[in-house]
Amino acid sequence: MSYIVFFIAALGTLAGAIGVITLKDPFYSVLALVVHLISLAVLFLLLRAEFVAAAQVVVYAGAVMVLYVFVVSYVGGESLKGTTGPGRAGTLGAFACAGALAIELFIAVLGSGLKAIGTGGAHVAAGFGNPEQIGTLFLTRFLAPFEIASFLLLLAAVGAVTLARRRGGLEDGVEDRPTISAVDFLRPRPYYTGTQHETLGNAETLTATQAVERQERPT
Amino acid sequence: MTPLAIVDYYEAWWIQIIKAVLIFAIGLQIVPVVLLAERKLLGRFQGRYGPNRVGPYGVIQPLADIVKLLGKEQSRPNTSIGPLYILAPVISIMTAVATFAIIPFGDAPHIFGTRVGLYGIDVSIGPLYIFALSAIAFYGLMLGGWASGSKYSFLGAMRAAAQLISYEVSQGLALVGVLITAGTLSLTQIVHAQEGMWYIVPQLAGFLIFMVAAFAETNRAPFDLAEADAELVGGYNTEYGGGRFASYYFAEYLNVVVVSGVATTLFLGGWLIPGWHSEPAWLDPFVVLFKMTLFIIFFIWIRATLPRLRYDQLMSFGWKILLPLATLNTLITAIVVVAVHG
Repeated sequence: MSYIVFFIAALGTLAGAIGVITLKDPFYSVLALVVHLISLAVLFLLLRAEFVAAAQVVVYAGAVMVLYVFVVSYVGGESLKGTTGPGRAGTLGAFACAGALAIELFIAVLGSGLKAIGTGGAHVAAGFGNPEQIGTLFLTRFLAPFEIASFLLLLAAVGAVTLARRRGGLEDGVEDRPTISAVDFLRPRPYYTGTQHETLGNAETLTATQAVERQERPT
Repeated sequence: MTPLAIVDYYEAWWIQIIKAVLIFAIGLQIVPVVLLAERKLLGRFQGRYGPNRVGPYGVIQPLADIVKLLGKEQSRPNTSIGPLYILAPVISIMTAVATFAIIPFGDAPHIFGTRVGLYGIDVSIGPLYIFALSAIAFYGLMLGGWASGSKYSFLGAMRAAAQLISYEVSQGLALVGVLITAGTLSLTQIVHAQEGMWYIVPQLAGFLIFMVAAFAETNRAPFDLAEADAELVGGYNTEYGGGRFASYYFAEYLNVVVVSGVATTLFLGGWLIPGWHSEPAWLDPFVVLFKMTLFIIFFIWIRATLPRLRYDQLMSFGWKILLPLATLNTLITAIVVVAVHG
């Protein structure tokens, strides 16, 4: 059973990864990346890392890729038409970079002494990798990296707000469309806004001029 | 054999299969009842009868609707993209049914000598499982709207998606308060932690935020801008007909049922009856179903009461009011829990 799931997920992971770089339409590329990320989450599940799997889906498939999908489906594939390929030098450079990355990863994996590779798999205690353990590790052993990472994300958020801010503002006198705030719920409702209460005849009947007077009268 | 779940008892594979089929069947039976209840209650709220032609009191109306939908030709617009157009409702319905698996209908009583948990799975990651599946459900709506090849569908899908990701943040943060108070992510243990007091009392703010976000997450009025029929014809499912439309419809109502179940579990004490701690185990599922019914009627009631918001109001409400409130609730809960338990 777990073998079947493993092979399906592994095939999904590989097919998704290959799809990202080979598909011409950016929308399908993004979808392939989603398939890849969800298949990775299934692999995490097989490793009994439920929290990591859920975080993978929520953060990557649910938040990051959603923005990609938004942008690509709004902009569409037209903007890429007419652009030329990377050229011979670019292609060679890409292959060289990919090769260097692959060698580096192999060295890292083989050099890290992962004892589970080539054996029946590592033995883990019950409850290994559950949210409680991960949380404890975040707040004790990995406190500094955890805090630094959250500070980095805060910087990124502030940076995004700064970049997306409307520079120069609107013309004079043109304000943003009014938005509701919490205070609006405390203000009295204007007359004749069509509440159920009024429909059922519970409101006093006003003529139009009376209603306008009521509106204008300071409360 | 079962990833996701860590339990201290053993369930044979056939018990798990029976459980899965049973829970799916219950979900399948609840949805037509909710459909009927909604149409009848909406009728009453609006001073009319609602469906009353098919069967006594109109009770067979949902069956007639479903038979009609399934009997229709599955047409597809020329501009649509075939495989994705077919896949999208499948994703929607799959995630809705999968989420239903973690609603606990009771503890793990002994049935014929073996311990059986009255839920699909008791995941160790609890609510995160719901959020992971709701992240995948996004693609059901999005692909459906995009692959239909229609601007109405596309705009509806965009609205639905933007609303989904905006309110998911607040909904998640609203639940953090409950999780901190309970000190566990497992849904059954959260119910056990409420034996002293239901979390709707200490976590009232979290409950209100969760409910508001739940209306947005399930695309229900007053947040049903995704299918604002006055401007968008029908939203992301405009181009769908027949069985595929029925799938979207089913998924939407099943999501309402699931959210009601989650709210029952996290805030209304699941299967607990106040003041009666030794209730028989067979009563538990009915208690949960009763509490879920209250929430479902509340959903219908709100739909009949409140008008639809404007889109920018919806967005500014989500980000400028709900999110700060949810964050504040989390912060205060954390401080209080640390202060009390030290």
